[in-house]
Amino acid sequence: MKGMKGALRALPTKDVAALACEHSPGKHPPESHPDRRVVSSEASLPVMRSDLEIVFRGEYGHVLAVARRVLGSSAEADDVAQDVFLSFARSQVPTSEARAWLTVAAAHTALNALRSQRRRGDRERRVAEREIAIDPAEAAVLSTERQRVREALRRLSRQQAIVLVLRHSGLGYAEIAAATSLSAGSVGTTLRRAETALRKELRDESSD
Amino acid sequence: MNHPTDGTLRRYLDEPSAIVDADRVHLASCDRCQASLSGAEADRTAAADALTTEEVTPPDIDRAWAQMSSAATQPSTALRDALGGHHPRRRRAQRVPLFAAAGVLVIVGSVGVAAATTDWLPIFTTEAVAPVTLTVDDLAALPDLSSYGEVDMPANPGPHEVPDAAAASAETGVAAPAVQRLPTGVVGAPAYHVVPVQTATFTVSVQKIADAAAAAGSALPPPPPGIDGAALRLRIGPGIAEVWGGVGGAPSLVVARVLAPTAASSGVSRDALRDYILAIPGLPRELADQLRAVTGDGNTLPIPVPDDKFTTFSADVSGASATVIQSRDQAMSAVVWAADDMVTVVLGPLSTDEVLSVARGL
Repeated sequence: MKGMKGALRALPTKDVAALACEHSPGKHPPESHPDRRVVSSEASLPVMRSDLEIVFRGEYGHVLAVARRVLGSSAEADDVAQDVFLSFARSQVPTSEARAWLTVAAAHTALNALRSQRRRGDRERRVAEREIAIDPAEAAVLSTERQRVREALRRLSRQQAIVLVLRHSGLGYAEIAAATSLSAGSVGTTLRRAETALRKELRDESSD
Repeated sequence: MNHPTDGTLRRYLDEPSAIVDADRVHLASCDRCQASLSGAEADRTAAADALTTEEVTPPDIDRAWAQMSSAATQPSTALRDALGGHHPRRRRAQRVPLFAAAGVLVIVGSVGVAAATTDWLPIFTTEAVAPVTLTVDDLAALPDLSSYGEVDMPANPGPHEVPDAAAASAETGVAAPAVQRLPTGVVGAPAYHVVPVQTATFTVSVQKIADAAAAAGSALPPPPPGIDGAALRLRIGPGIAEVWGGVGGAPSLVVARVLAPTAASSGVSRDALRDYILAIPGLPRELADQLRAVTGDGNTLPIPVPDDKFTTFSADVSGASATVIQSRDQAMSAVVWAADDMVTVVLGPLSTDEVLSVARGL
């Protein structure tokens, strides 16, 4: 992941969040888009990246995994992955920096989806049951586990959640620092607090 | 000596080489820091377990790529909106206003020359096409056909790709359109798709129409005799679609030719059904007036065009009156016309001159 600091610095946390929160990355007109690297809008014929398919096939599984780490639900994670690649398709992020950019965008988009209370509940349970239909009892347990983790993630601060997800998605401290405007030292502190808080939330929930 | 911070200890677990030597030396001999480190490690393990993704099935990357490349190369929201107003990547079922509206419009168009009969008789053959303009909101507000009666749509076979033009023609009996000159930027040979015959039967239900009228808060016009239970059998195709690929897999040009839509009646009085449906509350009056005018000759297929998203004009294509449609952002153009019992469409992310040039060269 060498050389990706540039891309991450060009896409600060709040910008990625703004980009992701719309769940339709092309909505912003080029002149007002928070990511000035986005070069086309839906109002005109998109300018496609020549490396899009290679990057997609190489990184789709990774981006999906980041989204699933947050959302659990395969269906929603699929949507997040599609959104993220749509943003990437219309960006000029260098290919060498694509993986880190995609990771950060996926984490933000997934956390936004998580915090949007719509679309939760029944749909997630339905998806979980369909995916793991081999054993309904096991499916129910796993679905409950997923729900507990999502609830716990939702209660973390945004900064804690993003650092936690990025680190457990494979980004190094320097990369996370570049993506969050934290110092590398503060990344460690935030991560430590986030993991402690997550564990405590899960423990508290299981004792309820 | 000062103890390393919690953040430093946490980083030590992941990136030990990033810790300065002094901290490393301290850590080796400090029980308190060792205990903190153990606590951090336990929390890290718990978090990793909680955030583990269980791969029930490996991702279908080919399917995901097809979905994404299609969405990424959408030239305009206008066409997408017209086709249902939803993002193509979404799998969630949504109402598709154009299809719903098209059903009503085809019915209305099809009854233009309805003849009273108890047998299945041909009552409509497309000889021309004409646009009827409406807004996307109008489309969304239209009731679908099931609000007016029973729609029986058998499990018609879907489109499928065939190796070449000869195979497409052999399967459909339709001569594959031969494009003389491709527009700039469209290259290579097309993929040939066969569109099998599609049929549907619509049976009028006065009760359902009354319910729809009541829901709209209006009284139902008195039904003409014999209309309840009257049936229309609709048929379109077979046909051939030639598709040239573009960047990211989205089509750069589509040329499609299908046997024109026809309708047969099992017993509907002439004009009565059309006038009755046009009088039902729910159809915008302006749209109803347009439909009445367009379908007056009984052989013109109305094409719904949201005029807040598209512009239209008429043009001559080899002696036929064609309707040219362009999205208002000029990202997409299409031309459609009927001739010799066939309806032909040329469309793509092209200018109107380019689609007309292709059309006139067929």
